Amino acid sequence: MAFVKRYLIPRLISFVLVIFLGVTAVFFIPRFTPSDPVQRTIAQLQSQGSYLDPGSMDSMIEDLREMYGLEGSMLQQYGAFWRRVFTGDFGVSFFQFPTPVIELIRTSLPWTAGLLLWATLLSWTLGNLIGGLAGYFSRNRWSRALDTVAMIIRPMPYYIFALMLLILFAYVVRLFPIAGGTDIGRRAALSWAFVSDVLRHAFLPALSMVVLGTAITFQTMKLIVQNVNAEDFVQYAKLGGVKERRIVSRYVIRNAMLPQITNLALALGQILSGALITEIVFSYPGLGTLLFNAIVTGDYNLIMGITAMSILAITTAILVIDLVYPLFDPRVRLM
Amino acid sequence: MLRTWRILAVLLALAMFLPIIGFAQLANLPRSETLILSMLTGRVGTPSNFNEWVGWKSRDRGMQNLANEPLWSVDFATGEIINGLAAGDPVYDSNFFHVEIPLREGVTWADGAPFTAEDVVFTVELLMNTPGFNNHAFFSENVELVYKIGDYRVGFDLKQANSRFHTTFLDRWGCTWIMPKHIFEGVDDPITFEFNPFVGCGPYKLHSYDPAGYWTLWEKRADWANSPTGILYGEPGPTYIVFQAFANEGAKIIAQLTHQLDAVDLSAEGLKAALAQGDTVRAYQRGFPWVVNNDPAITGFIFNNAKAPYDNVDVRWALTLAIDIVEYAGQAVDGTGALSPVHIPSLGSYPENFIKPMEDWLKAFTLDLGGGETFQPYDPDAPARVVEYARSRGYIVSDDPAAQEAAFGLGWFKYAPEAAAKLLEKNRFSQDAEGNWLLPDGTPWRIEVVSRSDTSHLEFKNASAAVQQWKQFGIDAVHVPSDAAATLTQNGDFDVAGNWPAQEPWGAGADLYRTLDAWNSAYVRPIGELTNGNHSRWSSPEMDAVLADLRATDPAAAAATIALGIEALKIAFTEMPGTPTFGYIGFLTWDEYYWTNWPGSENAYTQPYSHWGPLKYMTPFLQPTGN
Repeated sequence: MAFVKRYLIPRLISFVLVIFLGVTAVFFIPRFTPSDPVQRTIAQLQSQGSYLDPGSMDSMIEDLREMYGLEGSMLQQYGAFWRRVFTGDFGVSFFQFPTPVIELIRTSLPWTAGLLLWATLLSWTLGNLIGGLAGYFSRNRWSRALDTVAMIIRPMPYYIFALMLLILFAYVVRLFPIAGGTDIGRRAALSWAFVSDVLRHAFLPALSMVVLGTAITFQTMKLIVQNVNAEDFVQYAKLGGVKERRIVSRYVIRNAMLPQITNLALALGQILSGALITEIVFSYPGLGTLLFNAIVTGDYNLIMGITAMSILAITTAILVIDLVYPLFDPRVRLM
Repeated sequence: MLRTWRILAVLLALAMFLPIIGFAQLANLPRSETLILSMLTGRVGTPSNFNEWVGWKSRDRGMQNLANEPLWSVDFATGEIINGLAAGDPVYDSNFFHVEIPLREGVTWADGAPFTAEDVVFTVELLMNTPGFNNHAFFSENVELVYKIGDYRVGFDLKQANSRFHTTFLDRWGCTWIMPKHIFEGVDDPITFEFNPFVGCGPYKLHSYDPAGYWTLWEKRADWANSPTGILYGEPGPTYIVFQAFANEGAKIIAQLTHQLDAVDLSAEGLKAALAQGDTVRAYQRGFPWVVNNDPAITGFIFNNAKAPYDNVDVRWALTLAIDIVEYAGQAVDGTGALSPVHIPSLGSYPENFIKPMEDWLKAFTLDLGGGETFQPYDPDAPARVVEYARSRGYIVSDDPAAQEAAFGLGWFKYAPEAAAKLLEKNRFSQDAEGNWLLPDGTPWRIEVVSRSDTSHLEFKNASAAVQQWKQFGIDAVHVPSDAAATLTQNGDFDVAGNWPAQEPWGAGADLYRTLDAWNSAYVRPIGELTNGNHSRWSSPEMDAVLADLRATDPAAAAATIALGIEALKIAFTEMPGTPTFGYIGFLTWDEYYWTNWPGSENAYTQPYSHWGPLKYMTPFLQPTGN
């Protein structure tokens, strides 16, 4: 009961509060930017060559404000916004009117989730596995060699690294496609041809993320393991004749994993924010460019839709990790 | 045993991995019959939605350039207005309250249904009666009645006199398109209707599209002969045409160098990289300045005429004369732009119709510098100075005066910092001990020059070059790139902006109404309110008077529209609400590995871009190389 009162309830309250404040901020911040969605729509139509008769523009602006739901005070709009959020309806995209925001998200989300989920899990697993071993056997030559490789890769700006991969594997050695999520003319189908096509296009974007992600996780894990390895209880176990394999798996890695599990939860929660640079370098579909374009065009509803879902995902991930943490760390259960 | 398992595991991994290796990007399409083009406006946000009449639907994904056919199209390279679905010019009554449009016979939609006047009547009535369509306001405010006069002629009764009503159907990178009545009449909600698959009267039909929005594939219609393109120019060459979006320029260049992209718009730097590395890559011009310099838009910068001190014509002229156009054009575009001293670009028929007839007037134009001094700012030798700059950079420039005129324009302004200083001093501006300019109230003069943030855009380049020039002149000028530049300028929240100094002209014909009407005083709003006209917020009773005359003139009456156009250009030149610099420049490259006979400057049979509507009229002339 004490656990529920002192641990669970405060976390549930903060979960609700963070979502409320985050979503509220998401509603108000775009409205304080100088970008007006109606003007942006008109400017975009004009800059793309459309000639909008200036004499009819005032009526057009009125029409657009009404259709975009931008009439009424900000408080009225805020109230209407929360009513819609509870039904999962973020309204229509202003810029891609009249497509519902949820449909735009639905189009891009599978690409982002598919790429980032696997890239995150793979880099986390590889980084922790190799980093854990390298940390425990830190004096070995192979451990030092891996550390050197990680030290070379990690400081590289991601954009440069990704572009390097693109040039290397799509231009110099022509193994993978330059752009896109599928071949031109390929229709979605439950077939090996389609699946292998998707994998082929995802390979370089995923590789760029996995290599850098692994290097980062590797270095973090190696450092943690080295610290845990120097703890008294590990030394005591060694002196007590506990088998090395058991020391590595049960004593060192298990303790070192605690902060890494939190990192994994946060990384998974951030998937809904997309991977803008990856999408730009590899012309890969996803939520990153969708959000970027929404910000540039002042598409309030789309910004709110993506960021609200992202806030929900991150806070949920934190809550879940808070809830399962006692399973990994008995000390929490004894609070 | 363990070793065997390991080997098997490696083989299995390889078997899984090998099928995903592959460089080509076309699924089951013959490359030699496929034309691949880059999409100018990038990834399509709503890939399944082709309802062009509502919001923004990425019409350059092949809709306007292949599958749709407008009533008329502008071809700025030839200066022609091409009859598409229309069979000829519009016929107005003498008061411009009634117009009739003859329609082309023998055209069918891509699904085989015949195109008739009923489609036009249906479209206009639907747009008039349905709020939510982009042009609902225009049609409901302008059209009293639309009706068919036989199967191939429509009539419009207008609510007010409008001698340019028909231009809403004139395609210049977008216009009002005609809907297939037989499809839209069965739709419950035409605003949310996706119009998928798109059905137009153009020579291509939709084959497939990327649900993620990166490519759209079009296929030549079996009945292409029933499209206006087929009727006018014959059979299109490519069987398939792809529009592909790339999120970064590096990928575009790699795609072109590996023959996976036939035509692409790049930045200045990208164009040089592609030309340097691609053996089969060519630009619009075979030699310097390489670029497409006949795009119908004039670039430069605008002053906020509703804000001091830019509401003072002397200040606007002083800032113009403080610019050394050779340095300016060198910094902005490496000297590749065609200069223009007036508010239309020096291209097509415009030099002959407008700029050359104005030359005597331009030479005689005199500014009052104060203290009895005068100054004639026009410099017909400015293009020659840019030519010298280009040669000093090692570029080979033709000695042919006609070629130089086409590439570098007819003239600009003298670099006259002394005259600029006198104009400012006449208005009580002063300089401090370090030579920095002070406003009439003695405070430092700071100019913020707003532009969009895209560094490759000519608005950015003009703003950046102007700032450098004014800094050298002693003004505290700063460049403020902003993604909200459009909103800022529309609302008048700026000093100076890298922007088009005048509304783009049609690019064909002798009528400048489209350019001049943006200076209509009816559209000017106070700072803080959205203006519908030119963002410089300039207007004048003299310009209003010319516009009134122009509205009462038949757009087809060339001599009269040219005379009024020249009169209006003189007013704009005298007032200088924004400064024109050089015409819009396109950095276009073509790969000749699979397709040739591109409309380069030596063979400009049509406009060169793949994102403009007349691309469809280019397709019958493209020839496969056999690769």
